[in-house]
Amino acid sequence: MSPDAKSPLERLGAAVGQDFSNLLKARELTASRLEVRQQQIAELEHDGDAAVVLMGSWGRAEVTSGSDDDFMVVVDGPVRSDVKPSIVEVEGVLDRAPGDQGIFGEPVFCSDLVENIGLDRDDNTNLTRRMLFLLESVSLTSDAVYRDAHGKVLARYLDESVKSFRPPRFLLNDTIRYWRTMCVDFVGKEAQGSPKWGLRNAKLRLSRKVLFTGGLLPILDCSRFGSKDIPGVLERRFQMPPSDRIAEAFLEHDAADADGRALGAYDEFIGLLNKRGVRAELEGVTRSSAADSVVFNEVRRLGEDLEHGLLALLFETGTLPQVVRDYGIF
Amino acid sequence: MTVVVQRAWRGSALPYHHPIGASTGYMVDLRDDWPAQVAAARDVSAFAAELSALSENQLEPLIDYLSTEPELPFRYLSIHGPSKDRASDEEELVDRLCKLVRYTDAIVMHPDTIEDAAPYRSLGRKLVLENMDARKGSGKTSEELATVFEQLPDAGFCFDIAHAWSIDPDMSVATELLDDFGDRLRHVHVSSLSDELHHIPLTHEHEDLFRPVLSRCVDVPWILEAPPRAM
Repeated sequence: MSPDAKSPLERLGAAVGQDFSNLLKARELTASRLEVRQQQIAELEHDGDAAVVLMGSWGRAEVTSGSDDDFMVVVDGPVRSDVKPSIVEVEGVLDRAPGDQGIFGEPVFCSDLVENIGLDRDDNTNLTRRMLFLLESVSLTSDAVYRDAHGKVLARYLDESVKSFRPPRFLLNDTIRYWRTMCVDFVGKEAQGSPKWGLRNAKLRLSRKVLFTGGLLPILDCSRFGSKDIPGVLERRFQMPPSDRIAEAFLEHDAADADGRALGAYDEFIGLLNKRGVRAELEGVTRSSAADSVVFNEVRRLGEDLEHGLLALLFETGTLPQVVRDYGIF
Repeated sequence: MTVVVQRAWRGSALPYHHPIGASTGYMVDLRDDWPAQVAAARDVSAFAAELSALSENQLEPLIDYLSTEPELPFRYLSIHGPSKDRASDEEELVDRLCKLVRYTDAIVMHPDTIEDAAPYRSLGRKLVLENMDARKGSGKTSEELATVFEQLPDAGFCFDIAHAWSIDPDMSVATELLDDFGDRLRHVHVSSLSDELHHIPLTHEHEDLFRPVLSRCVDVPWILEAPPRAM
């Protein structure tokens, strides 16, 4: 996309008369902070096959004041114990440590992401790393290493089984599996007594749903393309922030109004997260106190608006309902 | 090749069924140009289609076209076999139809054109028999079709709702056909008929009249035997 070209989110905004100011401000903040971090991390010694990659709100281009620096050191080379830069070195430079040490606390080898899909070796950690890397990541250093590794993970899903005018089932199934895993793990964490129930619930209702549908929609859209075009289509879409992928799908399917409401709600959520005290209040909300939290109830409403818009896209537009029916269940 | 997003069905009850597809039988202007017929069918629906070789001389070009293994978007693809301008004997015809089996989900034949059922058994479950309209001498009613299905027990049923209407506008023949052969139902032909019993776009009146019968066919493809009304 040329620098002057409007993003799908901006085109959608023009179509429905919304400015999505919170999302666009978050994109600007993401870009400016990314530049600073790139300069800082570039000073660390790097192995030639290693790249520092940011995930989560960085990959969604939705950084707000309280965002974590969820990063991975991705290695597109031999498995080894000594990787430069080390996790400790990167943590020493970034402001906020990763939120989940199990996912982000050690170098991630591309070969594990590519070769261990399914079966016992594809544990929760490997699945999470792979899907975050595929669906919401951005390179901080060594962009060529990042792009090669990203291409290898995507290519693993797009083998000879991919057929023209069919969503690639392997990738579709793994993406749906990841969404369901997040939902199931939310309950698992609650049962373990993990803190921050309210914030995790809010993210599941909004950010995680955007992550999932930002993967799902491009995959379903492959039903419009020949097998030779599918890898390029997916690569191009996955380079966009998920909110752009969603906006593009709504524009493509002539459902701008519903998307204006859906992404409008998401825009409000991003704005809320930027407000002083909101993140802290959500962190303190529990299942039993949720009904009394004004902020949490606002988040729940926004989550419902987002979901209704996404469901309208999937079930009330031209051909997407048929694609969902044919591929989304079995 | 990219499949365009279709919105041709707005204003009609038909979009609520899935999958719907076009028969190339009505694409008279595109006759003999299979890629063009496929493109036109795809413009109606990328999910289902019926490629019609109604004259026997259209069969060989269709075999040639499909043997190039073109990338087709349709999840359900049927082929309507010859019902007129027959030149070869039945064994020769079925030999040709067998060449199509690997490319298609169903091969539709008119039962009134079948003189000797035996060769058709080699088509197995891919063979689908269609109920005929009031002009035809046989294959119109449950009783007439039953004798053919007895000889071809693996064959499926293509329910042409307009043909059934032509025999009985009260739709009791249609109901009886589904009562007797519903377990064989593979797909439905949907259209209205002109005074001369030619397929024409489904009328609003017929859409209402046919709805209760079509509601018994919600799990199979519907193939349009005439252009969709909204186009």
